[in-house]
Order: sequence, then C-alpha cells, then structure tokens
Amino acid sequence: MTDAIALQDLRYRAGKGFELKPLTLHVPTGSIYGFLGPNGSGKTTTIRLILGLLRPLSGRITVLGGTMPAEAPRILARVGYVPEQAHLDATLTVRETLRFQAPFYRTWDWPRAEQLLAQFRLADDRPFGRLSKGEKAKLMILLALAQRGELLVLDEPTDGLDPVVRRDILAALLEYVSQQGATVFISSHLVHELERICDWVAVLDDGRLVTEVPMVQLKNGTKRLRVRGAPVDLVPPPFVILARESENGGSAETWVVRDWQPEMAPYFDGIGAALQDVIDLDLEDGFVELLRTFRTPHA
Amino acid sequence: MFRAILFSQWKWSRLIVALGAVAGFALPIVSLQGAAAADRSPLQVESLLRVVQSWGTLYPVLAAALGLLVAMATWAPDHRGRHVHALSLPLPRWRYALLRFGAGVTVLAAPIVAVLLGALLATTAATIPAGLQTYPIALALRFALALLVAYAVFFAISAGTARTAGIILGAIAALIVVQIVAGVANVELGLPDRLQMLVLNWPGPLAVFTGRWMLLDV
Amino acid sequence: MSRLAFPLALALGAVPSLGAQDANLTHLRWRADSLLGEWRQANAIADLVDSLERERAGSGRDTIAVGALRIVTNPSPLRVREAAARAWPLLDSLYGSAAAGLATRPYLVRAFDPDTTVRRPGLHVGMEVPWTLDVSALTQVLLANVPLDQPDPALSAWLSAPVRLLGSARTRGAVYVQLVTAPFQPARSCFLGDLRACRDALELGDGDPIERWYPGPTERRAVVSRWLPGASERPASAPGYRACVAGDDAACTNLLRSVPAAALPRPLDVTARATLVQTARRLGGREAYARLMAHPDAPMAERLASSAGVDLDVLLSKWRSEILAARPAPVALPPWALWVASAWTVVFAACGLRSSRWRVT
Repeated sequence: MTDAIALQDLRYRAGKGFELKPLTLHVPTGSIYGFLGPNGSGKTTTIRLILGLLRPLSGRITVLGGTMPAEAPRILARVGYVPEQAHLDATLTVRETLRFQAPFYRTWDWPRAEQLLAQFRLADDRPFGRLSKGEKAKLMILLALAQRGELLVLDEPTDGLDPVVRRDILAALLEYVSQQGATVFISSHLVHELERICDWVAVLDDGRLVTEVPMVQLKNGTKRLRVRGAPVDLVPPPFVILARESENGGSAETWVVRDWQPEMAPYFDGIGAALQDVIDLDLEDGFVELLRTFRTPHA
Repeated sequence: MFRAILFSQWKWSRLIVALGAVAGFALPIVSLQGAAAADRSPLQVESLLRVVQSWGTLYPVLAAALGLLVAMATWAPDHRGRHVHALSLPLPRWRYALLRFGAGVTVLAAPIVAVLLGALLATTAATIPAGLQTYPIALALRFALALLVAYAVFFAISAGTARTAGIILGAIAALIVVQIVAGVANVELGLPDRLQMLVLNWPGPLAVFTGRWMLLDV
Repeated sequence: MSRLAFPLALALGAVPSLGAQDANLTHLRWRADSLLGEWRQANAIADLVDSLERERAGSGRDTIAVGALRIVTNPSPLRVREAAARAWPLLDSLYGSAAAGLATRPYLVRAFDPDTTVRRPGLHVGMEVPWTLDVSALTQVLLANVPLDQPDPALSAWLSAPVRLLGSARTRGAVYVQLVTAPFQPARSCFLGDLRACRDALELGDGDPIERWYPGPTERRAVVSRWLPGASERPASAPGYRACVAGDDAACTNLLRSVPAAALPRPLDVTARATLVQTARRLGGREAYARLMAHPDAPMAERLASSAGVDLDVLLSKWRSEILAARPAPVALPPWALWVASAWTVVFAACGLRSSRWRVT
C-alpha cells in the first residue's frame, strides 16, 4: 500500500528555539491518521512542512506521490487544508469566499458546497470577519471538502469549538471519507476526539516522534498492571514497560505497559511474580503515560 | 482566477480608487477653473501658466499616494492572514503575485481614465489664450506612467518579507552612516546628491515624477 | 515818461536779479565744463591703464595667428590653435570685413591648471581658461567673447547687451515664450501677426514709449502696481500711486512718465532684440555687421534694415517666423520616456514577483 504522506528524516529549525528532530512518518493512503501531541510539540510545524509552507533543513517529504516543496502547486490542487487559525479574507462574505476559492480547483464541487452551506447553516451574505469561531471553522471545512481533494490535512479543526459544532464537523468529515475514500491527516491535542475516528495515530512531543501505531494497538495495548513480587532485574518481557512504580514502598508495584495482550500473563509466572490486576487505560490516560515516560524514561 | 483576485482587490481598494478618481477628475478642472474664463485678459497668460503649474504639482503627489495605497491594499488580505491561504493555493508564488499585480493595475485604470476625462473636459470648456496649447492626453499618459511606477515600487516593497524590508532599510541606513562619517572626516562624497540625480533624472526610475506637469503650456 | 517809469523801474530792479541768474548759469556752466574735463581725463587714464595691462598681459607669451584672429596666450596644454582654426571661418562669415579688425585686437587668454592650489595673480584684461577645456568648448569661448570694438552708445542702449551674432534655437524658444506670455499688448499682438506691434515691442517705433508699450489703461495700471510698488512708499509718489491703483489713468501715466525711460519694463527683453540682430545678420550676409555699425547716428530701425539689406517689415516678418518656428518642445514626455517608465514598471513588478514563498514562521 502506498503512502499518502511520507516523511523521511525530516529536520527543521525555527531560529534558536524550536527544532524538529529527524522525523519519519508514513500516512497510509485511505486512512484517517491522527497526529497527537501537546501544545508546542511541533504538529502545526510538521503540517506546514508537509504542505510546503516551510522549507526543511533536510529530509524528504512525499505527498500523494510528489515531492514537497518542489511540486507544491501540482500537489496542493489535490489537497484540502484547514489550518489552525482562520486565514481567509475578512472582507469577503461566505458566498464571495466560495467564489474566490472555486476557480483555483478544477475538482471544485459546487453542488456539494451548496449542500454543506445548508447543512452548516451558514448565512452566505455575512462577511467572514463577522462569523463566529464555530462558523469560521465550518466554512473552512466546507472549503476543504468542496475541493474534492484526495487528501485532507486538518490542523486542530475543532479546537475551541462547542460540542455541537464539533459533532457537525466530524460528521461531515466522516461522510466525506466514506464517499471519497480520501486520506485524512488530522492533528489535535484532544485525544478522545481522535480516538473515535482515527485508524492510525502518531504522537509527537517536543519535535520528536514518540510512537506511530494503529489506533487499535495504542488503545487496547496500553494497560496498567498490578504486580507483586517482581524482581528488580527482569527478563525482557514481550510487551513494552513504560513505567514501573512501587506502591507504598512494599513489594507491590504498578506497571504501565504498551502492546499488552492477555496471552502474555504467563510471563509473570516465569519471573516469580504475581499479576494481580489488569486495568484498561483509555486513550487519554495512555497518551499521558506515553508522554510521561517518553520525557523521563525509567531505568 | 484573475476575476476572483480582482474582486478581492476591488473590495479592498474601492474606496481608495473612488477617491482617487474623483481627485483625478477634479484636478484638471480646478486647475483651469477661472484661470481660463472667457473674460480673462489675454495679458494674464503668465499668471495663468503659474496657476496651472502650481496645481500641476498635485499630479505626481496623487500618483504616488494612489500607487502606495493600492499596493498596500493589494497585499493587505495576505498580510492579515500571514500569507497562509495564498501559499496553500495550487499555483506558483510568482503566478499568484502576477495575478495580484494585474488586479492592482486593473483597478488603477479608473483614476487614470478620470484624469483623462477631467483634462479633456477642462480643456474643452476653457477659453485658451492664443499661443498656448493644451496637453490633456500627454498629461494623462504621464500620470498613468507615474502611477504605474509608484504602484510597482510599492508593490515590490509590500511583497517582500520582513527580512527584505530590513535589508532595504539597512542599506539606506548604511548610506546615511557613510555620508555622516565622510562628513566628519571632511571627505566630500556627495552620495545623497549623486543618488538623487540617478533616481530623479532620466533614465532614473522616478524621473517621470519630476519636472513640470502642465495641462496648458506654450 | 511816467508810463515808462514803472516798467523801467521794474527792468532796473530786475537787472540785478537777471544778473544774479546769469551768474548762476555761468557758474553752472563752469562746473559742467569742469566735470566734463574730469571725466575725459579719467577715461584717458583708464584707457592708458587698459593699454598698459594689455602690454603686460601680452608680454612673454605666444601669439597664435589664424586668419585675422590673434590669440595671445601662455604656453599650456590648451589646444588654442585648433580652436582658433575652428572659430576663424565662422567669425569671418559672421563679421565680414569687420573681422579683419581682430588682427589689432587680439584675444588675451590665460590658461591655468585647474588642479593646482597655487594662487594666480589677478587678471585685469583678457580671460582665464582652464587648460582642461576641450577644443569645442574653447571654440565656443572664442565665439562668445569676440574682442571687437564696443558697439556705439545707441546700439548698446538699445541692445542692453554685447552684440552676439550667433544664436541658438533655445534662445529663440525663450523669445517665443516671451511673445506668448509677456503681459504687454505689443508682444501679444506681435505674436498674433501685427508687425507694427513688433516694432513697438522691439523698441523700434517712434513716439511715446508709454503709449506704445502700454496702450491701454489696464496695462498701465498693471505695470504701475507690478513694477512700481515702491512708489506707494515714497511721499512724493504715494498719492499718485493710490489714485492710479484706484483707476485714475492719468495718475498712472504721470507716474510712468516720472520714471526714467531706461527703468520702464520692456515688452520684450534683451534676448528678443539679440535674436533680431541675428536674423538681420543672416539676411544681410557677410557685411551685415559692418552695415549695422556703419551709421551710429541713424535710427535703430534703419540700421537694422540696412544691416539685413531688406525693409524693416520684411526683417520683422522673417524674425517672427523664425521665432514661431522655434517654439519649445511641449512638456509632453518624449517617446523614449514612455519606454523607460514602462521598463521601470516591469523591473519593479518583477522584483515583486520574486516575492518569497518562505515567509510563514
């Protein structure tokens, strides 16, 4: 299966501050790819690099089979982009904004645009600058969807929006994906939101990739284990230990593990320990543990 | 695409263009108003020419002001959005800039036509003393050239990044510093004068602004 | 007897006063003669000084002779002979037989090094020329400073400038502008084709200059208010000035007559009269200059007509045609300026098209 987006050893530096360490990502075609990370981790920067808005220090960026930023105009014709902040001309009305955008895309779908306009209940004679935050977000989604691109790149599209608007947007998105079979690359720090829709997830922290796994694997494989009597030195387990903390100074410990499967329980018998409990972690908890251990790895 | 950008340009600069067109239309008429009345003595030709010449100084000012404001309005929507939208459009940067430039030139046609119409109307309605000629078309053409040069200059400046602006300002500052140091060291460099001559005399870029702007002359 | 007594008494009484008047007159005459004598003496001394200076200036220098042209100059890199060779044929054609007089009136040229800071002694006669001047420029200097005899007082007074037989289109263009814009009726009428007005404008007519130059009350009032504003501040002329400005034409006329003729504003300036002389020379050919100088006592109109070898009206008509033909180029941009401005527009637009993609941070 080819990748809609492939980043290979991508590096970027913004002045003396933030730096993107060598980043390698693969977004499978047709997937909904969640790009998670706390604020300031480099999500927006990565997206801008993917779309050719920033020039990388080194590395390779391939989008829809083309190289970025060299082939940016040709590739961007097939990409719908919703940036983090509203960037459209504030003086144009909703209708005028659609008329401005349409000529640039050969695949522009006017009937679809009209349908979304009605679905989102946007007044087409209101200037963009006078729209509410939610309305602006809807309009930007509308523009991205009406372009009928093969790839949608959404940078925190529902950030700061109320649940109703978020629901509307995500519903439109899913409908589009199911009809179009498009690839969606969506970044967010709202973990629970991505949990419902994403096939794949990558976690970024401070410019470094923490993990890139199928969502199922991240969701189901991250557990909190209650263990008693485990030795200090362990035989390498079949799962990844993210954290190991003792409880009350005694022999009982709490382990946070990744890639856990029930069949791995006999491991503890092998090391002379007792597995007392397996606690499911939701994605958010797993995400937090992931980051915590990534930042301060256990010995 | 061009129509879309032209519409955006129009939205941002319609007030500027409208005011500029009104000023451009009125200027020739006002400059000849009363000065070329039928009952004016033919012996007042000298004062008539003086009046026309002094009003004529407003043409290059109007051209420069319009060029500046329309150039700013050209890039204003992109500057506001930090160019993210423009850069995410599927066309090369130079082509986008060309469309923007063309849109600005298109809206500037209005004040140019206004100057031409005002000049034609003023010279038709006025009683011109024998020996004097009217130059409505030449004046309008010169105005058009000055306006386009001004617009192009400010368009280029406005299209630049903050770094480019810094380089330009730095170069100007360096020139000033060199001149000051030379002055302190009692060395006659005359850089500003030479630069002024290069820029303001033909074939310099701003030469079209200098000289007399006469709707009426011998 | 008694009838004669009173007149006789009057006459006898008047004799002393008449005698006193006679004495005043005699005294004034004596003073005038004395002043005239002083003036003649001063002139003679000045001529002597000039002549001595010429002797001094000419001593120890080279004399370059080309035709009748003589140039006395110090040794220098200045290419005087070449310039003289270029100037002489033109001077010969301009001055005709009068050019032979140049043999006894040499140019005195002091060439100096423009780069040196060594102080030069003062120059009382002749001219200083930097020796970096090229041949063309030096030729122009020679043509512009012909050391022939000074024109007679009448010609000097009329011309108000040295005689220059070489003109230029630029000068004629300036005269054209005067004809169109001068706030005097004769100038405007001359432009429109009235040759009598041209005579008045060029001060060749007879009669009262005030009537000829400022024929209407409006012009007379305009002249007073524009050129004689100082009259409003002098006690003697202030009432007349005010009356004139208020519309009293007689007051304007009186005020103008109180001003010396030489101080009145002319309809046309010196360049116009100079161009007329140049036209006369062109019409009159080689000996035009000699004919112009031949009869210093004749009226200027006759002298010019004689110089040109045609009637005055023919001369004026020809002069007017030349002036009209020299109309300055209009202020409209020359064709190449259109391309230059367009090119700069394209240059700056191209700079704008190079707007960088890398601007998002």
